[in-house]
Amino acid sequence: MTKKILVVEDDATTADYVAKGFEQNGYVVDVARDGRDGLFHATDGKYAAIVLDRMLPGMDGLAVLGALRAAGIDTPVIVLSALGSTDERVKGLKSGSDDYLTKPFAFSELIARVEALQRRGPSGAQPVVTTLRCADLAMDLLARRVERNGTRVELQPREFRLLELLLRNQGQVVTRTMMLEEVWDYHFDPGTNVIDVHISRLRKKIDDSGREPLLHTVRGVGYMLSDSA
Amino acid sequence: MSILSALRLRLPAPIRIALISLAFSLVITLPVLLFVYHQTDSLFEDRIHDRLDDDVRDVLFADSSSGAAALPGLMDQALRTGELRGGVALLVDARGHKLAGNLAGWPPVLPTPSEWNEIRLYPEGQVRPDLFAIRTLALGDGRRLLVGTTIGERERMRAALVEALLGALLLAVPLGLIGGWVILKIAERRARAIGNVAARIAGGDFSHRLDEATGGEEFAMLAAAINAMLERIEELVEQLRLVTDSLAHDLRSPLTRMRANLERAATGGVGHRRQQALEAVSLDIDRMLRIISATLEISSAEAGAGKEHFESVDLAQLLRDIAEIYNPMAEERGVRIVTEGPPTLLYRGNRQSIGRAVANLVDNAVKYGDGPIDIGAADKGESVELWIADRGPGIPTELREQALGKYRRLEEARTTEGSGLGLALARAVARLHGGDIELLDNGPGLRVVLTLRRAGDLSLL
Repeated sequence: MTKKILVVEDDATTADYVAKGFEQNGYVVDVARDGRDGLFHATDGKYAAIVLDRMLPGMDGLAVLGALRAAGIDTPVIVLSALGSTDERVKGLKSGSDDYLTKPFAFSELIARVEALQRRGPSGAQPVVTTLRCADLAMDLLARRVERNGTRVELQPREFRLLELLLRNQGQVVTRTMMLEEVWDYHFDPGTNVIDVHISRLRKKIDDSGREPLLHTVRGVGYMLSDSA
Repeated sequence: MSILSALRLRLPAPIRIALISLAFSLVITLPVLLFVYHQTDSLFEDRIHDRLDDDVRDVLFADSSSGAAALPGLMDQALRTGELRGGVALLVDARGHKLAGNLAGWPPVLPTPSEWNEIRLYPEGQVRPDLFAIRTLALGDGRRLLVGTTIGERERMRAALVEALLGALLLAVPLGLIGGWVILKIAERRARAIGNVAARIAGGDFSHRLDEATGGEEFAMLAAAINAMLERIEELVEQLRLVTDSLAHDLRSPLTRMRANLERAATGGVGHRRQQALEAVSLDIDRMLRIISATLEISSAEAGAGKEHFESVDLAQLLRDIAEIYNPMAEERGVRIVTEGPPTLLYRGNRQSIGRAVANLVDNAVKYGDGPIDIGAADKGESVELWIADRGPGIPTELREQALGKYRRLEEARTTEGSGLGLALARAVARLHGGDIELLDNGPGLRVVLTLRRAGDLSLL
């Protein structure tokens, strides 16, 4: 089944850039150029995710979001905004968006986040999972145990959460800023190779046993856990 | 069109000011003079009435006590001795014949009795006529009495008052003109001084200031207010200039590299070298985005944004988080991050921006300093203190203020990766929390201390 994405964005260049990017990744994309149009499309509820610009003519992005949520439509929404400060971000998340991305952004970051949102599904509808698996890597969320090929792997609490994040998004790219947000709850771009060092430690623990490597670097974007290189 | 607006249109400023000051002096002096005039005049008339009353009483007393036959003799005697103070008296019989007194005859058309007549008379023994106040009354047997007193004095007083009034007016005109001119000159000089400073500033030189010491309180206040405004404008313009200059500088190097790398990728080469060039471009773009977002973050913190998202933050936990995030990277460089201070330290503030500021400072310490890096927090009651101390080369005292400036990165630091805005951001965040940042000597190394003031409402949490 092809997945549909709604892009609500008044700037034609950005809209095209985003739409092309999603199309190349196998999505069907509808573009709405203002808030009213966006709301009209979105009320169908047939989209896998909505990319919503914050500043729109006609109807402000957050107002569209509010109207959607009020209408009981819980399609995952990621808000795009040129307002970059952490406060704007908090405001965006509080008004019911599922994620928030500051312009300018890399498309790889956007699609990584959109795919993570779909994996998470509509808020509240998350199925209860106690075990996460990728090839011969298994994580028991209740016992907080990780095994690779049957051998116990000792992880620090944060390494555990980092791996959990990667496992939940396996097959998808997880960016460095997503990691900082999910694991430590800080919303800034760490910039230097801070996250890379954490990953390389994690990699040593899970991939060092001579088995097929599972944790892959996606250059310039982030990391991905998958059982096929 | 009103008179004032007509004046404004036609007259030059000094004359206008002179006229206005003249009008003011008239408004002030005229009522005073009129009041004096009225008061002295009525005082005078009271005295004349008193005098006439006395004379009439004296004559009536003599008439009743000495008898009608003796009255003419007594009156003439009293006139001579000045006992009749009014100085003029006349007694005539029923047919109008003079019995006593110093007037030749009864003035025509003077009714009897009458309270107050003002008549020009020529009493016997006087060289020129004078104005008199006259009272008449009837005595028994058809006799009529006239007493009078001069009121020329009152007339002269009136004339003198009018003269004084005119004199005051005449004096007010030149005084008003001079006063107006002086005020105008003073105002003109101040205005010109302000104008000169404004012109210099318009010419691009922001260092000029008005003299706040001279020219009285009002002008000093005006000068101080204008100077404060200029101070702020200069600060903002300077900031803006720095931002633009440094942003241009900081963006130029990645842009130049990007251009070179893109050219390399475009002109071909083997696949993986091309790939490398493109990745380098993407790294440079990331760097530019970081510079821009740090700039925006600083600006918004400086503008006070973020206060609405103050929440209770455990600063000790925040330091442990940041240490945990940065420790692996630090250890790769052979440096250890050690956290100090109490196990919990609650503070009401913006967790994200404090976290980002501390992360920036730790990042700097790891990159430019040497270990071990101590990070810690202490509760100082009214405020909390956060510190990040390294054992690297530090920053020389004279360069510390410069290091805090937005974009004023130390030259050696320019070669290393990063936006160079870490200290400026930390300062903006500290100020957002009512505090400041200090760069101290760690002997050896740099000790950065952030002071965050506690808002009063922490107890409400």
